[in-house]
Amino acid sequence: MGVSGALARLALRHAHLLVIEVPGYWLTRVAVERLAGVRGWRLAVSPADADILVVCGSPGPELALVVASLWEQLPGPRARIDVTTPDLVAAGLDQAAAMLRDTPGQRRDSTARDGRGFDDAAGGDIALAHGSADRDGLEMDVLHVRLGPVLPEWPAGLVLRAHLHGDLIAEAQAGVIDAGHGPAGGAHVAGGDPSDEVRPAVAGEVAARRCDNAARLLALAGWPDAAGGARAIRDRLLTGERSAATAELARLRRRVRRSWLLRWSLRRVGPLPPDELARLGLAPDLTGDVWDRLNGMLGRAAVAVGGPAGVVDGGPAGVVDGGPAGVAVGGPVDVVVGGPVTSPAAVASVVSGWDVATARLIVASLDITALDVVTDG
Amino acid sequence: MAEVPAAVSGGWAPVAAVLLGALAVAAALLDGALAGRAAGVRSGMGRPVGEVARLLRQRRRTTVAADRLLWRIGGAGLLGMALMIITVVPLGRWTLFDLDVGVVWVNALDVLAWAFVWLTGWGANSAYALVGGYRFLAHGLAYELPLMFALVAPAVAASSLRVGEVAAAQQGLWFVVWMPVAFVVYCLGVVAIAVWGPFSPALGRDVAGGVTAELSGVDRLLFLAGRYALLAAGAAFAVPMFLGGGAGPLLPAWAWVLVKATVLLAGLVWLRRRAPALRPDVFMEVGWLVLLPAVLLQDLLVAVVVIGG
Amino acid sequence: MVTHLAFWGLAVIAVLAGVAVFVVNSMARASYSLALSFIAVGLQVLLLQQLYVGVLVILMMVMEMAIMAVYMNMFMGMNPAMMSMNMVHGARHALPVSVGVFLLLAAGALFAPWPSRRGSPPADVTAALGVELMGPKMLAMAVVGVVMAATIVSGIVLAAHRTRYDRFGDDLRRRRPADPQPGGVRR
Repeated sequence: MGVSGALARLALRHAHLLVIEVPGYWLTRVAVERLAGVRGWRLAVSPADADILVVCGSPGPELALVVASLWEQLPGPRARIDVTTPDLVAAGLDQAAAMLRDTPGQRRDSTARDGRGFDDAAGGDIALAHGSADRDGLEMDVLHVRLGPVLPEWPAGLVLRAHLHGDLIAEAQAGVIDAGHGPAGGAHVAGGDPSDEVRPAVAGEVAARRCDNAARLLALAGWPDAAGGARAIRDRLLTGERSAATAELARLRRRVRRSWLLRWSLRRVGPLPPDELARLGLAPDLTGDVWDRLNGMLGRAAVAVGGPAGVVDGGPAGVVDGGPAGVAVGGPVDVVVGGPVTSPAAVASVVSGWDVATARLIVASLDITALDVVTDG
Repeated sequence: MAEVPAAVSGGWAPVAAVLLGALAVAAALLDGALAGRAAGVRSGMGRPVGEVARLLRQRRRTTVAADRLLWRIGGAGLLGMALMIITVVPLGRWTLFDLDVGVVWVNALDVLAWAFVWLTGWGANSAYALVGGYRFLAHGLAYELPLMFALVAPAVAASSLRVGEVAAAQQGLWFVVWMPVAFVVYCLGVVAIAVWGPFSPALGRDVAGGVTAELSGVDRLLFLAGRYALLAAGAAFAVPMFLGGGAGPLLPAWAWVLVKATVLLAGLVWLRRRAPALRPDVFMEVGWLVLLPAVLLQDLLVAVVVIGG
Repeated sequence: MVTHLAFWGLAVIAVLAGVAVFVVNSMARASYSLALSFIAVGLQVLLLQQLYVGVLVILMMVMEMAIMAVYMNMFMGMNPAMMSMNMVHGARHALPVSVGVFLLLAAGALFAPWPSRRGSPPADVTAALGVELMGPKMLAMAVVGVVMAATIVSGIVLAAHRTRYDRFGDDLRRRRPADPQPGGVRR
């Protein structure tokens, strides 16, 4: 074994995971992130960066195709695991570690893949892109790019078909992957795992969801430390360490509020006045720009965690008010667990006219819990 | 005036490369430790070692219709750039390449980052990677001119483009003391060339790793190593330009160069933990409307002092 | 001897890379072939002991080619998958003309009665070259540089689709500009 064995052991201690969340399985995804972090593993940003592909939940037919194609893009050594509930995660990660450690097995996998790479996938020339006027009236190429469903810090299941001028989104259509399939539409958009359906909503879970969304926004803003802080609070909330989480959340809110650089970067990005929110069917507490919405998100987390333990019923800051879209789909239990349901059409509408980086910030700032599978396509 | 460093034989080049490598490794270890501390993981320091092992074990990959030649050139180019930059950085009494236009030499090399980073993004034939490449050029348009004018200030003050003479000209007072604006802008430029911290939107999570989205295995390792090496080379070049070269008590000159470079490098690494990303769409105006006028005023001030003094 | 070999080696690289510009089939490769050609020329200038000019040639050309590649790709709609671009247009006339011009210039360079060196090069060759080229018109030249930069900026301002009236309102009273995407400085 010698060198390659030592290399494998060292490499295994720093594996990168590409986590794919099937809509409705966010608790499983969070468990993967937490337990992977404990092992010193990190989250991959793209298939090329990943050693382990983790599918959280059972994907529908469309997502299954995406997963298969991503699996082919993992460079290898590689391992794929499918986990459907949070308590299966630890075993799943052990299994992935064992697969990666199995050098002979990886070598077989590698030779089996040789000769049928992505080179064969497409041949010949690709036609010239067609052009159209961009927002400054310049004739520019249009590139059609599908954002999602698997992208770091991206709402589970969302697919945004964007027409790009350079990296400027001229227009976009949004949809949810496997919208027509999946286990009974209602459970599909549920905020919690299907296994939790009958359990009453826990305030800690609502707060954890806000922290998770805030972590995504902070990570997209390019501040990994603050994002890591928000994730740590999320994990504490979910493992029941309420008091520690409350204190850390207060510290994080102060830290975010005081960062003038973050404020400078997020101010005036993606402004949404109340009438626009009403028109798009978005929750009224999303008013303002991305900076306001980030602070609002953390504020809602603080309210939820500071409120009475157990079931939250229409919290003071509208934490669980469905909002105009909250009644769209899903049973009442889901709505209480998850909060409002966001329509993909609204997401597509708010990102048009912004470049990809700001559009990503705007999507993350919408504090999406669940996506409406009925409207839009 | 202290003595101006003398060129040594090219046989010493591997030593310079090893020193640069040591600085880059130190930067990676520190970054790993800081990241580990922030994430509450103990194994932080070991992270760079583990990452190297991981990437050495990983297979290289390619994409559909990749421009493989340009892609690989871009990925490996950053490391080459860093090595070329340190050839003109004097280590106390010695320098590899005693070029009388050393300052312009470094400037010409830092522009190569435009080519290499963009080519890495272009070659993969992937939308995310290409967006990342364009983002780097957008940053480049904002940081490059201020960086060039920041390098003008020490050269004017020393009335020389020879790096050794610039270092020797600040025996009394380090340039960083009376040209702080130029120093800060220079440091921003170094961070930007290394696609580091606040200047990493080209590698952003929002575009799945941007320029690096499709890199794996040894290709990714080369690109990432190039970034650390550039950060280290930039910190090393700041020592003769702004931080008094080898001047300092007790220790020999070469040791002071290393100490100063390490301290500045640590500061640049640490910066990543504190600051969110400066997206090109907002940084562009800062570059042209704040940094460029500020650094031009700095140059004017330096020129007036030099002519008046 | 080594210098001579290096000089001629670089000359061959410069010419071959220049030819490659018209042979390769993508804009990125064409741009960077041209950059390589210029880098070889810059290194030749370095060998001629014109250090400042040589390094500057490399600096300017790499930057220019980076920008050119971007514009070409932006306006011509290209990605590496589309590798069938023909870089020669109107080849029937262009090829003989360009080969003829190249031969003419090369012949001129080779057969011109170059003077032999009298005296020794001055200490500061860059300054000497500048004085030789521009002489008493140095001030005018320096001013022309600034005027050119100003022209570029004004050209962009005039060409821009959105004017200050779009940004600040018809009476220019709006405190914050109405930009499609806010910039980093609030003006």
